[in-house]
Amino acid sequence: MEMVELGGKMLEIDEDGFIQDPDLWDEAVAADLAKTEGVDELGELHWKLVNYLRDYYLEFNMAPMIRKLCKATDLKLKEVYDLFPSGPAKGACKVAGLPKPTGCV
Amino acid sequence: METATVLPAAIPATEMTETPSRRVFPYHLLERPDDELVDRFLEAFGRVLEFTDYKPLLDSYRRSNTKCNRCAVACPVLQASGDPKDIPCYRTNLLLDIYERYFTLDGWFKSRLTNAFELTEEIIDEMGDIFYRCTACRRCTRVCPLGFDHGLITRLGRYLLSLIGIVPKALQVSVQEQLEGETHNTSKVPRAGLIDVLEFLAEEMEEMLGVELEFPTDKVDRDYVFFCAVSDYLMEPDTLMGNAAVLYASGDWDRWTIGLCNYDGINYGLFYSDWHLENIIKQLVSEVDRLRGRNILIGECGHASRAAHDFVPTFMGRKAPPVLNFMEYTLDCIRKGRITLDPNVITERVTYHDPCNIARSGWIIEQPREIIRSFIGDFVEMTPKGSDNLCCGGGGGLVSIDEMHEFRMEIAGKMKAEQLRQTGAEIVVAPCANCKKQLKELVDYYELPCRVMGLHDLILQAIEIPGGISPMERKEQAALYAI
Repeated sequence: MEMVELGGKMLEIDEDGFIQDPDLWDEAVAADLAKTEGVDELGELHWKLVNYLRDYYLEFNMAPMIRKLCKATDLKLKEVYDLFPSGPAKGACKVAGLPKPTGCV
Repeated sequence: METATVLPAAIPATEMTETPSRRVFPYHLLERPDDELVDRFLEAFGRVLEFTDYKPLLDSYRRSNTKCNRCAVACPVLQASGDPKDIPCYRTNLLLDIYERYFTLDGWFKSRLTNAFELTEEIIDEMGDIFYRCTACRRCTRVCPLGFDHGLITRLGRYLLSLIGIVPKALQVSVQEQLEGETHNTSKVPRAGLIDVLEFLAEEMEEMLGVELEFPTDKVDRDYVFFCAVSDYLMEPDTLMGNAAVLYASGDWDRWTIGLCNYDGINYGLFYSDWHLENIIKQLVSEVDRLRGRNILIGECGHASRAAHDFVPTFMGRKAPPVLNFMEYTLDCIRKGRITLDPNVITERVTYHDPCNIARSGWIIEQPREIIRSFIGDFVEMTPKGSDNLCCGGGGGLVSIDEMHEFRMEIAGKMKAEQLRQTGAEIVVAPCANCKKQLKELVDYYELPCRVMGLHDLILQAIEIPGGISPMERKEQAALYAI
């Protein structure tokens, strides 16, 4: 596993850039992770998505169903892709500090 | 690396180090395999031959192998790549050469007299590459004059490689979680998460269909225990709600359940390991036993259906509960008049993609077409279709391997993308979690003017719900639910 500097601290990431320890996530880490996803600045809508994902993950230890994410944040799936070009599972979840999805996701 | 569920012959791999690898493995492995790959590969091969029935199969293939290359014309990967190493019988022959040289008397004898074939690490590398370029769609088997099952050889090759630590990590971590992890499923969906998803779906259905319901979980003595690809709980709400709507409308709501200890139908063992295949099947059946369920009902997933349908009887013998694919159940309900689908709701042009595992390698070709024709007016077929269909390009577990995205788009799925374009359909029905993911990626990649859906996504729109809102009324409101 590689160590990189994100948000001013050294964090372990996997080959796909997902952080390994979700407890070390904070907003500065998110901002730096977003840059690896081609999002230079996190706007209000980005944060709405990221915060929802983060809260859901802390409660259920998994990412929410995509439709639930859209409904809760009042965003259409297309808008999610506009915000995070690599999509909700690989893009938004990475920025929110969730682990890389496994299985057929 | 945890090795609790691998054969005793498996040898733990060492930690991946910073030093550059001697060999370049094309796909990401969880850990770098140890040295002495040749010896370990032969040891694993020997053990597998000792404890399985592959020996008579390899003997027969070895004797009748003509290398006629008829399979070449049928392989969509080869047609797109043009690389002779993708010819199915080239791949099969690689394994047969090893078998002949090291595990037969005449092969051994020949090696004493001539400068015969010798297994090297380069050949193991080559196998690590080409066995994962095959989508195990088994289209080549249809045209082979000698009936070689190259898909089975792909699985055997991958099985042997897995025993020396060569498995794409995407498959390995998923299976590890399913067999040894806390959640016992490939997408790490915990029980509390599943319950939250089911509550959310129930709310959605109430809003959409106008009926109040609660998903039955962990109910005992039910006729059907439901397993979908667990990823559906994250990605495919419409398919799941369509499944539930059929069960509700048919009056079978009190006859099914979802187990809370194991709710994943996925079985990647079918793609690379007979050993895991068996363990995952046993885990599935033990959940049905725990709930005293009578039938296994598999959601829209090709390989999960085939794995359960073909291998529950293999490994469970007389104890084996019957296995049904959800489309069979739905068709039965339609034929008996237990559900009604409104033929005026779906007006778009629809085409149907046959998942290889249930069409060519299975028993489901006409059933979905009968369902589709019963409520969809503008239905067009792809060419070729049914048993001759083209793989989506993500079969054999490839769809889960992100590192292979470009290969799946540019090579394995290239012919499929062109086929989709030619149908002129707005909706591609693909009743399989693997195919759906791959086809959606193809549609994005090639900017095809269509969208990919499950069959039950469409049924959800058209089904009459007793005491609920009518399908046409729902259609008018549908814009509200579009995401």
